[in-house]
Amino acid sequence: MRRGWLVACACLLGVFIAALVTSLGYSLSDALGPGPGFFPFWLSAIGAALTVGMFLEITRGRMQIDAGVTVLPDRSAALQAGSVLIALIAAAVAFEPLGFRLTMLPFIAGLLAVLGARSWTAIALCAVAGSFGVFHVFFYWLKVPLPIGVFGI
Amino acid sequence: MDTLNHLMTGLAAAMSLQNLLFALIGCILGTLIGVLPGLGPAAGTAILIPLTFKLDPTGAIIMLSAIYYGAMYGGTITSVLINVPGEAASVVTCFDGYQMAKQGRGGTALGIAAIGSFIGGISATIALVVVAPPLARVALSFGPPEFFALMLVGLCLIIGLAGRSLLAGLTMAVLGLLIALVGIDPVRGAPRFTFGIPSLYDGVGFIPVVMGLFGVAEILLTVEKPYRQVIDTKIASLLPSREEWRRSLGAIGRGTGIGFFLGLIPGVGAIIPTFVAYVVEKRISKTPERFGQGAIEGVAAPETANNAYANAAMIPLLTLGIPSSPTIAVLMGAFIVNGLTPGPFLFQERPDLVWAVIASFFLGNILLLILNLPLVGLWARLLHLPYQYVCVGTLLFCIVGAYSLQQNMFDVGVMIVCGVIGYGMRKIDLPIAPFVLGLILGPFLEKSLRTSLEMSAGDFSIFATRPLCLGLLIVAGLVLLASALRLAPAEVREASND
Repeated sequence: MRRGWLVACACLLGVFIAALVTSLGYSLSDALGPGPGFFPFWLSAIGAALTVGMFLEITRGRMQIDAGVTVLPDRSAALQAGSVLIALIAAAVAFEPLGFRLTMLPFIAGLLAVLGARSWTAIALCAVAGSFGVFHVFFYWLKVPLPIGVFGI
Repeated sequence: MDTLNHLMTGLAAAMSLQNLLFALIGCILGTLIGVLPGLGPAAGTAILIPLTFKLDPTGAIIMLSAIYYGAMYGGTITSVLINVPGEAASVVTCFDGYQMAKQGRGGTALGIAAIGSFIGGISATIALVVVAPPLARVALSFGPPEFFALMLVGLCLIIGLAGRSLLAGLTMAVLGLLIALVGIDPVRGAPRFTFGIPSLYDGVGFIPVVMGLFGVAEILLTVEKPYRQVIDTKIASLLPSREEWRRSLGAIGRGTGIGFFLGLIPGVGAIIPTFVAYVVEKRISKTPERFGQGAIEGVAAPETANNAYANAAMIPLLTLGIPSSPTIAVLMGAFIVNGLTPGPFLFQERPDLVWAVIASFFLGNILLLILNLPLVGLWARLLHLPYQYVCVGTLLFCIVGAYSLQQNMFDVGVMIVCGVIGYGMRKIDLPIAPFVLGLILGPFLEKSLRTSLEMSAGDFSIFATRPLCLGLLIVAGLVLLASALRLAPAEVREASND
């Protein structure tokens, strides 16, 4: 857990310093008062200072951290979470080229199977309902535009 | 009299067949979100926003509000039946609710929770009708410095009650404020942190961020540790006995008061009123040893406080434009998506909408009582739904929701990235609430600060020379000081982190 906090501090510090450097490119003040760079500059500076404070709080043992708690999941749990993430990214990549229905059909079926659903009938029904059914509800009834892919589906 | 007229007009609008249907759908979906463990009200409300895109703003807000307080009701069912809170505010209900279920009194626990929630919700809505219009009138006299100070108080309360470290809360709030700055500067029109990416010119969408932080992150955590699905409790009689009524009535009254008053304070999350109500009941009880063993007051008080809070928390949002919790922030996002800015001007500009929404709270509470008492067995049966289907369904709606906001894959990407970040934050217990509040309040906070400084030609003393503004800034400072000195009970700080 402690290592997780230190990694978080490093990431936050990186974000705040990058924002601080970028905000130097915007004007801090102009004729009317504070400029577009005023808020970003001071927020980045304050954020960086707070992150350093948090880092010191952790390293000096002033923050209550459950040292015994493991942040990283075990192998099978990591595989499950990783599968979800990969499926999400794959769906995001295929969403516009393939269209909603052709993307969601394998997304739902594959993910259900990976997560341990065993009834193939239920998986097939859910995949069809979740892709073609949801598309119909959103596209035709709720008039929410969802992508139609290169195959016209 | 004017208020009564407005309320009657609102009631007539809310009782139109269309709006009544939206309220009913919202209540059903909200209860479903509350019942399904792993899908909290913030994520649930966020992913269902696309359902309201083609509705008129009044219908959309009525439906989303019903989803919000419906989720508050529904969370009780899993707390009582499987000892897993459907949402964070129902954690306290597990203490005695589950014990009652194990003793074969699960039905009574759910019955008193529904009745208490109804009384708490209706009472808080009546108080909302009385309090909101004068408060909105007072807020109309606020200038940008006062609004800046008020938003700061709300943020400080969230930060002060967030988790294990004040510094962590502050850092996350600052990060939220900073990310809110991405896009076109609202005052001068200059692009900031856009790096030449056109999608960033409109800023980082609040709704995809919330869907990621609460929805996707929750799914990633759930697939790691699936929740239990076994229910070994029978739901017999739903109505309490005469002795149980006697014990519950006082608890319901006190829970209503606690929930309502804490709901008025921006920054107090939903779990704190339930916790306070429980502690109060335990302290004043002549037999405190019964608590944790199935005391009906231990269910009645927190559940009443929970729903009274849920309705009262709309007051700071509707009158001041300040969200009290991440879920209310999502509702604020829904207002903005519909082209409305919550705050005192809304009462002047769209009284038809505000009063129809307020009136719908009365109807929604009645609908929820009907849905929860006779149909509780049906909801309980949903707990048999394997978690795989819930997870995949949630992800499906997250993708549809994020994409349909602007028909833009960039928002889906933001949601996935925020899902991973939220997963990491939850793993190490970094507070999410200050980040979310910072993100939604960021543009308003910056605008009021810069307008204030323009009024004073860059002189910061404007914040010290206006008494109300100074008073609010002192309150904000005191809140942070109290947090630094750890004056709030540890349990409250830990609880509010959820």
